[in-house]
Amino acid sequence: MEILFIIITLIITAFLNAFIKRKLVIEFFSIIAFSVALFESVVIALKVSISGIYSPFVFFSVDSLGVIVMLIIACVGFIATIYSIQYLRQETAKGIIGFTRVRQYFVLLNIFMTAMFLSITANNPVFAWIFIEATTLSTAFLISFYNKPSAIEAAWKYLIINSIGLLLGFFGTILYFTSVSSLGENGFVSWESLLANATHLDPLIAKIAFIFVLIGYGTKVGLVPMHTWKPDAYSKTPNPIGALLSGALLPVAFIVILKFKNLTDMAIGPQFSQNLLIIFGTLSIAVASLIMFNNKNYKRLLAYSSIENAGVMALGFGFGGLAIFATTLHLIYHSLVKGVMFFSSGNLLLKYNSDKINNIKGALDVVPFTSILFIAGFLIVTGVPPFGIFLTKMQILSVGIEINPIITIMALFFMTLVFIGFLKHITSMFFSQKPEDIEVGEGNIWLIIPPMILLIIIIVLSFYIPPFLLTLINDVVSHY
Amino acid sequence: MNILNLQFLLEIVFGTIIFLHITKKNFEAALSYGLQSLMISVMLFSSFFETSNVSLLFIALLVFIVKVILAPVFFIKLIRQHALMFSVSTYLNTPLTLIIIATLTFFAHSPKFAPLTGIIQANQALLSLALASMFLSLFLIINRKGALSQIIGILSLENSIVAFTIFAGLEQSLMLQFGIMFNIFIWLIIAIIFISMIYRYFGTLNVTTMNNLKD
Repeated sequence: MEILFIIITLIITAFLNAFIKRKLVIEFFSIIAFSVALFESVVIALKVSISGIYSPFVFFSVDSLGVIVMLIIACVGFIATIYSIQYLRQETAKGIIGFTRVRQYFVLLNIFMTAMFLSITANNPVFAWIFIEATTLSTAFLISFYNKPSAIEAAWKYLIINSIGLLLGFFGTILYFTSVSSLGENGFVSWESLLANATHLDPLIAKIAFIFVLIGYGTKVGLVPMHTWKPDAYSKTPNPIGALLSGALLPVAFIVILKFKNLTDMAIGPQFSQNLLIIFGTLSIAVASLIMFNNKNYKRLLAYSSIENAGVMALGFGFGGLAIFATTLHLIYHSLVKGVMFFSSGNLLLKYNSDKINNIKGALDVVPFTSILFIAGFLIVTGVPPFGIFLTKMQILSVGIEINPIITIMALFFMTLVFIGFLKHITSMFFSQKPEDIEVGEGNIWLIIPPMILLIIIIVLSFYIPPFLLTLINDVVSHY
Repeated sequence: MNILNLQFLLEIVFGTIIFLHITKKNFEAALSYGLQSLMISVMLFSSFFETSNVSLLFIALLVFIVKVILAPVFFIKLIRQHALMFSVSTYLNTPLTLIIIATLTFFAHSPKFAPLTGIIQANQALLSLALASMFLSLFLIINRKGALSQIIGILSLENSIVAFTIFAGLEQSLMLQFGIMFNIFIWLIIAIIFISMIYRYFGTLNVTTMNNLKD
């Protein structure tokens, strides 16, 4: 029932927001809806940690990995909503947007969240596809939110590239249905029934299907070379949505790939899918690190960081074994830290009115709390000790060095390059001389608290993993 | 419906995609997509007559309403609203485009794709043609500079996948088909809104003019 409660609450809130004429009420309803989603997600997570699976109806099923991503969506979504309220108020005060835009934002945000929750819980691959496509449709207008030519261009690229990718993913999805001789009850084929029949899948069809799925959903994840929409979309969308695209949508699409990987592995063994994930993962890390070095826009920098981390995750699941534990943790850390970075970069944008790295000078003097948050985010995301991502990257690489030393050394080299490239921009933005004409001081405390909460969660999780979460991660290791 | 009739319908689908590559007028492209979708809905209607499965009839009707009527009507309204009579050019010239079309068609019929086209042995030729239609639709999206052509290319790709699923016996249940059609309908509306926005902001549907975003 919990999942239905989440979905119904979000849908009703989206519907109500579309008609409410008072901004305060829209904000209040959204906070309530996302609180409900967070609370119910925790309840579901506890249930899954005990029983291994949550499936209240035939249409919904969540396993351990699904519920981890569900928690991420709920947590980042809730914090993003709190941040969005103040962020949009500041933009309204500056005359960048009006009430209609704010209303549109919260309607689309609720629809986007609904689509993500449904994608993650759908017990049928085609349903999962439908809802992932729905995330594209709900976010397209959030990317073109500011109605500038560059935003329209970014949204168009996003719509076209993702639609093509998802159609190819759909074709791959359909091919997996060749393993089931007839459709199940009411024509419903669940992930479980596909897994049970996966051994009947023709090996060559399994290979072709996985390639299509990896290209299709990999587009949504942002794996190279299907990543081209990502820097454009991330740089043009409002910052809280950037946090959700990177922190929540990326794992949602990734999880679908992993579910299909399971089916493929059952049909032809793990070698094929692992090799593909390693290739795409390494390519993503390499390309992102090279482009990040000469980046001119800090929001695009965050997009390339997401591509790099998607590559790390692909590499981790490609290596398999012990790396899966580390990769699952990496997925959690990355989602949370991207929230910190997108929110603090939103504060920079509000202060400097520019997303160009060259226009941000002396930020540490101008917005000290925001700067500390952004720098902490940089240290975490690039894998500096003692934060969790350092350990996850090291663990993935230590597994990799036994399986494929050349790829692992290459990955390590490019990860180092990411750190150097990022550091170069950080130095220029935060440790330089501040402009004379800029007013010193943070915008509002509610622009600081949301990223601060996420940062505290990451630091805690770097040193202590709650038992229920540990159970879930161990369960992921045994199933993926 | 016998296999020859089905083959004829699929050949029309394939032909419409080639026509989409060649035509220079948006109005003709919209009509061509309508014709292509009509063939898909006829295939679904024929499946209904063969199996007496009422859900297939419902799906066929849904396809007919959304793809054969609504989509072309939306496109034609858009073309008239913005006087977009002529589509913008292609990246490759016509002879080169035709050479690539031939190559892709040959490629789809090659033994490399035998596992896909052999899902149902009796339909191997049809599956190869559906696969070729998919490749050509993808090429259409890549080769065309016009936003409207790109949208039609994506919808054509979706039609080709539907044709493939019909001949591979992989049609989905009514509920899933309804979900897919609903998605496509919403996608269509959003894409058309974006086309209007592109025209308003850039004064053309030529996507090569959209070059604000670079690293």
